[in-house]
This record gives sequence, structure tokens and C-alpha cells, in this order.
Amino acid sequence: MAEGFDIDHLAKLARLSLTAEEKALYSSQLNQILGHFQALADADLPATIDDARVVNEDALRSDEPGLVLGAEAVTRIAPASRDGQISVPRVVDDES
Amino acid sequence: MADALHTLSAAELGRRLAAGSLTSRDLCEALIARYQVINDKVGAFTHLDQADVLAQAAASDVRRKAGQGRGPLEGIPVAIKDNIAVKGQPLTCSSKMLASLVSPYDSHVAERLRAAGAILYGRLNMDEFAMGSSTENSAIRKTFNPWDLARIPGGSSGGSAAALAAGLVPLSLGSDTGGSIRQPASHCGVVGLKPTYGLISRFGLVAFASSLDQIGPMARSIEDCELLLNALASADARDMTCFGPSDRALTPAGDAKKLRIGIPKGFLGKGVAPEVAAAVNAAIEFYRAQGCAISEVELPSADLAVPTYYVVATAEASSNLGRYDGVRYGHRSASAGTPVEMMTASRSEGFGPEVKRRILLGTFVLSAGYADAYYVRALRARAKIRAEYLAALAGVDVLLTPTVPTPAFKVGEKASDPLQLYLEDIFTIPANLAGLPAISVPCGKSGHLPVGFHLVGAPLSEAKLLAAGRLFEAAHGFAHQQATL
Repeated sequence: MAEGFDIDHLAKLARLSLTAEEKALYSSQLNQILGHFQALADADLPATIDDARVVNEDALRSDEPGLVLGAEAVTRIAPASRDGQISVPRVVDDES
Repeated sequence: MADALHTLSAAELGRRLAAGSLTSRDLCEALIARYQVINDKVGAFTHLDQADVLAQAAASDVRRKAGQGRGPLEGIPVAIKDNIAVKGQPLTCSSKMLASLVSPYDSHVAERLRAAGAILYGRLNMDEFAMGSSTENSAIRKTFNPWDLARIPGGSSGGSAAALAAGLVPLSLGSDTGGSIRQPASHCGVVGLKPTYGLISRFGLVAFASSLDQIGPMARSIEDCELLLNALASADARDMTCFGPSDRALTPAGDAKKLRIGIPKGFLGKGVAPEVAAAVNAAIEFYRAQGCAISEVELPSADLAVPTYYVVATAEASSNLGRYDGVRYGHRSASAGTPVEMMTASRSEGFGPEVKRRILLGTFVLSAGYADAYYVRALRARAKIRAEYLAALAGVDVLLTPTVPTPAFKVGEKASDPLQLYLEDIFTIPANLAGLPAISVPCGKSGHLPVGFHLVGAPLSEAKLLAAGRLFEAAHGFAHQQATL
């Protein structure tokens, strides 16, 4: 099951930057863990996953807007904020 | 009397508070004094705001004096795992990612505890983001087993269990995704209950694997565990999976001596330490002698539980932990250039090794070309495991196994072998996969190290689990036990 494992691709998908040592370690450990998952490939399993659902989709509450946390509480825990808004690195370059 | 307050049960403390022979302030002062001596040895707490605790205690005493006590937990300290939000207190999940986060809101369980008059007493150490079975993955500090300070307390709720066994607090909250309440409870000789999925709101519990996570009570006795469970269980519209006991009644306990107990075939064999097997077999014989019907049951897919869990849990974790991007809260890297570089650097600096390992694993099992082979097959295996457990529980009231195959291991012993550590949870994982209630009850020692047995019941059969535990506890000396420190 574990063929095609590409640690660089996975790290990119997961937005993680790994050192060479981390790549070697995680590759080795993940291959070992995935080997243990072989039991899943070999098992005789039911075709449906209905019994595995834990969420009753009828339980959704009505979607009503309301104040949960105010801007002050939200910006207080943000890494950086200015004028009541969360600031981040520039996303769009200035047009020249 | 004051020097022995840490040895008393929450129920007894409640009786003394109600009788007026004890004040919450005196109790909290005694526990703080013990904390100052003991906590550095054990490392159970990561934070304790002593002034806040004493202010809460004084307010409780005023309420009680005015005849406005709020119930059986009035004035009693409850310590809280550091992944459960309490307004104004740190919410670090024992991670560098959230090292400076102070929660701006209360979890549902914190609201319930306040409404019950409890003292919200400090933050408890854990494996980072609840990922681990030894509390060695905490980025803040190590926690040690009070029964042997060279050994792990279990995890991920290791602080919650160690605080009880060390007499630092009478009650604590843990969270359990694959055994994180029950495994440390077993290793520390205390009671830990994972409720039926949906009985207690997850609102304000930092998400690890949402279809598996549950908050649950931990205590030094069954009576105390039940006291805390009753305060927590309540419907909450903010968690769509929470129905609470008001919507679906708990199954009445009945006479514990008439319980039908199933012993899963093969669970006491391979991989179980002889002392653990002996203690659990003695518990089985105790129940037989009490008149319980003991029978063997088949759970043919039990071997699939660990791989199924680690696919489902890591898949959900990789999605849930996607929110830590350095934008809204949590660690932001100072070396950021573009937004994507900022996110990548923030995550790489903020997450520890086990969290990275699980995010990578979860990302893989959900990735294009592999999701059908891993994630979807794991969901199908989960359905099969749940069906087998429910079928077994149609014929018996509870299933009895060890909680953990071996006693607590030495600090560092399994740190470099994640797969071995994952197998610690082999007996506890199926209850999470199937959404079933389960409890770990102390049942003896392996040398000087506690051993627990594990009961799993049908949905909403918490009362039966507690009744079975109470019957055992009443006949043995394991209630309220604490390590000598």
C-alpha cells in the first residue's frame, strides 16, 4: 500500500518545512507505520461506511448570525493587528 | 485536619463544606501549599493562578454562606487539561504553537463547572495537541508518574491523572481520542471515564480528531467520577454531535451483581504482561463470585482497531490542525516573507515532532491516489468494528479487558519508536471508533505500579459501567489511593 510515498510532496501539502534529518526520520517512521496498516488492505470489509458515521446530519442547527467574540477579543489573541484588524504579510503586490 | 485535606474524596470534601466544617478557601490554600512542594517533582500542572483560585474560593464561600450554593461541586477544585478552554486562562495544548494563547472564552464544560460552583483550578500538562500516550510530547515540561518518578504517567491526559495520584487536586478533566483518559488513569491508579460520544459537549475542546474526541471525568474514586460526570453532561447546540442526557436517557444501572460480563477472546493473551493479566483475571473472578454471568465473546476484527484509528485520527488531525497558520492566533514566524512562507515557517517552528509526524501521515492517507486505499478503507473497517462491538454488547452488559497491556514504562523507553507507543492504546481505541462509553478502574499493582481494568458498554450505559466499578471498588482498597511523595 505504501508505494509512491514522497516526503517532499507531503511536506508541501502539509505546509511544513523539514530538514534533511527530519525527512529521513519521518520517511522511515511513516513507512514502518504504513506497513502496519497493511492489515486494512487485507481485511474483508463491508461496502458501506454508514455505520461509521458519528454525525446525525439532521442535528444541524439553524444558521443564524450572531456575535461570538468581538473584534477586540479576536485581535487581542492575533499575532499582529492594526486598527482593529488582523495584519498579515502583503498578499498582493502593488501595481506599478 | 488541614494537612490531610488532599487525601479526601471530592464527595467527602463536599460534605464537609456543606456542614460548615471546611471552607473552600481553606481547602484551596491547603492544595496550593501542597502544589508548591509537589508539583515540580511530578510536573502535572503547567499553570496555576493562585490568586484567581483563592478569589474563586472566597466567592464560593460567600455564596454558600448566603444560602446560594450551586450544588455538590460548590467550592471543590477541578483541574483542567490544557486543551479545554477556560476564559482568561492559558490554552496552550502543551505546544509552542499556542504558548502565549489566553482563551477568550469558556468551553461548555467550563460553563457547566462554574454553574455548579466548582473552582476552576489550573492547567494540566498533556502530550502536545493530545497526541501521545506518555505526556513526553509536551513542549512545556515533563510529567512523571507519582508512583515512580522515573516512569511516564501515560497520556495524553498525563497531567490530569498524575495530579490526582499525587493528591494535588480531587477532580480533573481529561480528553480521550483513543484512550487518553483511560490509559493514564490505569498507569496512575485512578478512575477515568470516556463517555458515550455526544454525551458531553466538545465546544471549547481544541480539536484533534473530531469524530473521536470526548471530554471526560477523572477522579480517585467511582463516586467522585460520577459526581463530575453528572455536572458535565448537558445538551449544547454549539456542538452538533452533543445530545446530552436530557435528549436520550442514560440506561439505568440495575443490580451490578446481575451484570453480564463479556471477556473478548484472546485479549488476555499475547502482549499482555503476566502481572496485568493476573490482576485482570482476579477482577473477572471477583465478578464471577459476586454472581455476574461471565462469558467469552468474539471480536474478530479487533486487530484492525489500531491501524483504523491511526488512519482516521491522523486524517482528521491533519485537517483540524490546518487552522494553525500563524494568521489569527498562535505562533507566527518572525522570518516570514510571503503569506505561504509565513504559514509554512510558523507551522514548522510551532509544531513538535509527533504532531508533524501525524500531520504528514494524515495528509498522506487523504491525498489523491491514496485516500481510497487508506481513509475510505479505514472508515469501512470502523463500521465493521462498531458493528461487532454492538453485536457483542447485545448479549452482555459490559466487555472487560485490561486497560493497557503493560504497566507504565520508563521515561524515554519508547520515545524513538512511535509504532510501539501507538500499541499502548490497543484495548482503548475501539470504544472511540465505536462511540461507546468506557472506564478504567484500578484493580491492583504490578510491583509498585498500578494496573487498571477496562469496561466498555453500549451507548449511554455509563451508569452500568459506574455500578460495576463501584461493586469492585467497595470490595477492594483501591479508592482514594495516592502515591507517597
